[in-house]
Amino acid sequence: MDMNIETPEDQNEENSRRVQVRFKTKLKPPQKVPSNSIAIPSNLTRFGLSSVVNNLLQAVNPEWKSEPFDFLINGELVRMSLEQFLLAKGISAEKVLEIEYIKAVAPQKEEEPSLHDDWVSAVDGSNPGFILTGCYDNLGRVWKAGGVCTHILEGHCGAVSSVNIIKSDGLKYVTVATASKDQTLRLWKFDAEELVNHPKKIRSFKILRGHKASVHSIAAETSGNMVCSGSWDCTISLWRTNDSDAAGNQVSIKKRKGNNQVEEPQLEGEAISTLVGHTQCVSSVVWPQQETIYSASWDHSVRTWDVEMGKDLSDIFCGKALNCIDIGGEGSALIAAGGSDPILRIWDPRKPGTSAPVFQFSSHNSWISACKWHNKSWFHLISASYDGKVMLWDLRTAWPLSVIDSHKDKVLCADWWRGDSVISGGVDSKLCVSSGVSIQ
Amino acid sequence: MRERKKSSAVEVSSVKKKKEKKTKDNNEPREQKEKEESQSIMKQQKNTTSRSKKEKQRKATEDYQSLRESELSGDEVHGTDRDVDNADDHHEEDQSDGSEGHRGVEESDSSEDEVAPRNTIGDVPLEWYKDEKHIGYDISGKKITKKERQDKLASFLANVDDPKSWRKIYDEYNDEEVELTKEEIRLVQRLLKGKAPHADFDQYADYVDWFKYDDALHPLSNAPEPKRRFIPSKWESKKVVQYVRAIRKGLIKFDEPKEEEPKFYLLWGDDSSAAEKANHLAYIPAPKPKLPGHEESYNPSLEYIPTREELNSYQLMYEEDRPKFIPRRFTSLRSVPAYENAVKDSFERCMDLYLCPRVRKKRVNIDPETLKPKLPSRKDLKPYPVACYLEYKGHKGAVVSISTEASGQWFASGSTDGTVRIWEVESGRCLRVLEIGEAIQYVAWNPLPELPVLAVSAGQDVLILNTGLGNEEEQRRVKDLLHVETPTAPDDNMASIVSWLQHDKLDGIRLRHFKMVSSVEWHRRGDYLSTLSKKLSHRIPFKLHGLPVSSVFHPTRSIFFVSTKKNIRVYDLLKQRLIKKLETGLKEVSSIAIHPAGDNLIVGSREGKLCWFDMDLSSKPYRVLKCHPKDITNVAFHRSYPLFASCSDDCTAYVFHGMVYSDLNQNPLIVPLEILRGHTSSNGRGVMDCKFHPRQPWLFTAGADSVIRLYCH
Repeated sequence: MDMNIETPEDQNEENSRRVQVRFKTKLKPPQKVPSNSIAIPSNLTRFGLSSVVNNLLQAVNPEWKSEPFDFLINGELVRMSLEQFLLAKGISAEKVLEIEYIKAVAPQKEEEPSLHDDWVSAVDGSNPGFILTGCYDNLGRVWKAGGVCTHILEGHCGAVSSVNIIKSDGLKYVTVATASKDQTLRLWKFDAEELVNHPKKIRSFKILRGHKASVHSIAAETSGNMVCSGSWDCTISLWRTNDSDAAGNQVSIKKRKGNNQVEEPQLEGEAISTLVGHTQCVSSVVWPQQETIYSASWDHSVRTWDVEMGKDLSDIFCGKALNCIDIGGEGSALIAAGGSDPILRIWDPRKPGTSAPVFQFSSHNSWISACKWHNKSWFHLISASYDGKVMLWDLRTAWPLSVIDSHKDKVLCADWWRGDSVISGGVDSKLCVSSGVSIQ
Repeated sequence: MRERKKSSAVEVSSVKKKKEKKTKDNNEPREQKEKEESQSIMKQQKNTTSRSKKEKQRKATEDYQSLRESELSGDEVHGTDRDVDNADDHHEEDQSDGSEGHRGVEESDSSEDEVAPRNTIGDVPLEWYKDEKHIGYDISGKKITKKERQDKLASFLANVDDPKSWRKIYDEYNDEEVELTKEEIRLVQRLLKGKAPHADFDQYADYVDWFKYDDALHPLSNAPEPKRRFIPSKWESKKVVQYVRAIRKGLIKFDEPKEEEPKFYLLWGDDSSAAEKANHLAYIPAPKPKLPGHEESYNPSLEYIPTREELNSYQLMYEEDRPKFIPRRFTSLRSVPAYENAVKDSFERCMDLYLCPRVRKKRVNIDPETLKPKLPSRKDLKPYPVACYLEYKGHKGAVVSISTEASGQWFASGSTDGTVRIWEVESGRCLRVLEIGEAIQYVAWNPLPELPVLAVSAGQDVLILNTGLGNEEEQRRVKDLLHVETPTAPDDNMASIVSWLQHDKLDGIRLRHFKMVSSVEWHRRGDYLSTLSKKLSHRIPFKLHGLPVSSVFHPTRSIFFVSTKKNIRVYDLLKQRLIKKLETGLKEVSSIAIHPAGDNLIVGSREGKLCWFDMDLSSKPYRVLKCHPKDITNVAFHRSYPLFASCSDDCTAYVFHGMVYSDLNQNPLIVPLEILRGHTSSNGRGVMDCKFHPRQPWLFTAGADSVIRLYCH
């Protein structure tokens, strides 16, 4: 193939070896290069390979605008020069090397941060329409794209520690749940599509009492009928979300001072069951399937609970106090958890006979406060840390794909939003949105 | 009679007699006689090996002379053979008679011969009379009794007293003790050494050939040389053949020549190794002078020759620092001048050797690693706090005291800026700031989780404050508890020490003391508290010698520990009396902490020493750890992990593994684990307080730099 390839390493091209490669991709035709094998210098890094591919694309399509790509060899991302990579992995350079390229995953744009009055302690981006945040000023907030606050959830008398959007497909009203350090959980309902000029204050329709200490985390069931919460009193409680059929509903007679809005009756609910087993603060719970709850605790364990039986099925002992947990990845089965050390660990519970993590990512410098899997991709997850960084990880490489360094202090929470943005809140009272993360 | 007496002499001189007898037979044919003579001479020579040579020689000359005489006479007067013989015989007889006794004395070597034997029993074996009281019979047939023997003990004592006893010999034959003379002893010693008995006997004297017949008229033998002298010996050759065959068959083996190892001497080597082998008072060789190197050559390489600058720089040096020898180049060895310092050098060398004392240094060859105590590896003792991940900032003055809540979600800190802050552990969030207005001395969180109240000592007050945590019901209870009617009827005893007042601004009780309150401790059930003030004033008054420094409640039993500057007193709270006094041996105690099991106590001191008391063991410290270069400000035990820590004004905190075994025979194991740094010094103070997280192996340290740090595992 006679082709003029302009590479940044052109000057020292002659004194480096050449390898025969063939680029392939699962991308759509405008991003597809001809599948001929070409010889490229072996000292190219990801950037060099990316410019090679862009050149190839330009040769086919002159209007092609160059775009960063990431490269996979045998299912692993290339993070060093091609030569070193082949040496390290023991791949022969004699054969034609097949390199798969994907779009590079990195945030393209840093949006204007949404300012809060106090530390942003919790964030949920599971609804593409809005972002829900919890704050240390006892309020929850709902944000639209572009940094517009539409609703303020008012009612907690302690810092909000966790927020969760309860799935409510097809309904006009969106139900959300918040957990607070005032030992209660509250459920809220509002119309997300409603257009407002200034933030509308709403009150909870249901208060869930029963925890004897601060509630630390909350998670809703996939169907949206139940929520579970983990607390400092070492228990996990399960609650019903529906407003009608809960037994012992009481009409609250409390009056709210300060605003003249119509008083709605407040319901109170009690836990329908409590999962006891952790010996210390339950710092994080997730409820990815109908029948299992995963929980992480400061007693250094990750437990899997059977909801029907109310018993824990298995526990993984980690050795560090854990702050966050999330389930995702391949087959939605991998457990990612971070805690009181800078290492993000990923376990595969399907692997028998071992409780050793399958992946360990240790680029952070401080405690990890949040970790979230991408809901579509098997490989991507984010982690937030007290060192002020949010890192984007790919399981196929030990280095972070990108580091979002927009916070000035500790990052307390992070989530994905709309599948292509990373939202994070921290001690600097900002909700940062980094958009343009293209994950196919 | 005489013959018998001199039997031994007769024996010795028998040869002589025989010879004499032979001389008597002069009438025999002459040749035969000659032959006999020579033979007898030869025999005599052979026999007289034990005799002294000179005597032998003398005798030989005599014999020879007599022989010659007889020969001459024989030759000259043939006819009167008989007469002469007779006369000769006679003469000889006379001579022998006269000389026999004389000679016998002269010739004999043994002392027996010198003194006549006094034994009169005759030539009878002595063992015949071994067990009898007599040794034999005299000539008239009477028994000769043995001399009475001394018993062994007496003889031993006599021997000890008598310096000459070693010379004494018991002569069995004569039944008497003989004292050996010096000559005799010398003779015995010579015999023992295997030498000739007499010193003047020359064993290897030159051979004197008495029979010189080269120039004599008549040679001894006229016989022609026998033929065998000229032909090779048949027997010899047979023997050789035999040997050759044996060698061929391999019956005779030659010793293989030993390969001698070449002996080398390390000419310039250190002699010390050779000297070390001797285990007596060893010779210490003098140190060897330095060997000449290349620079001392008459034509050294250029690099040894100092440059002009170097030479100039030597001039600037002190006299003693200058090099002793400056290399120079000469075209030939011939042109090298005499060394001007030769005499001086050798003199100095001699002085060195003479004046310098030489001592052998005993070097102990011990691997320093083996001297270290065997401690378990730090890796096996995980978890323990290692790295600081969280900092709690907000105070404006030095943080003096911290206290954690029972569940470990919150902790409180008191500072010299007059505020008490309540922090959230996990996020570093300051939840509440309580303005006291006076520099805080001590904060203590109530150990009950359902009673979130805080005891704070500031100035002369102890404040019991509501932290505002917990749900509404708990808050109600706390508020009830913390409400005191201000005009309380003064108790007769208590009012004199403290007065209970409602705090006006903050939500709590104010306990007013008369003096500064230095520390506050809660009882484990959270319903009692102790306060230590500058002047003796306790809830339960105890007599103390000296100011109280620190106090602590026993974690399980109703025992209370109070430390003064020197000692720690242990009181029983129920019986209200002193149980024990622990002697620290420290100059000034600063803090104490008790192990959660209650049997072990650690004490920090102002001189940087940490004492571990095992109260089952003794009232003296089980171990004293000297680790901090400056004052220890506080010590702490972990509630569940086997960890303890000390913090000091040198801005560090030390974490130790302190395992207490339930087996009483096993002493506590103390392993230093980690030095935690990070605080900066301010006004000479470093880390003011340290507390463990109640449930995690984490350590909070409060610094004088107004920062609180959390060290995690």
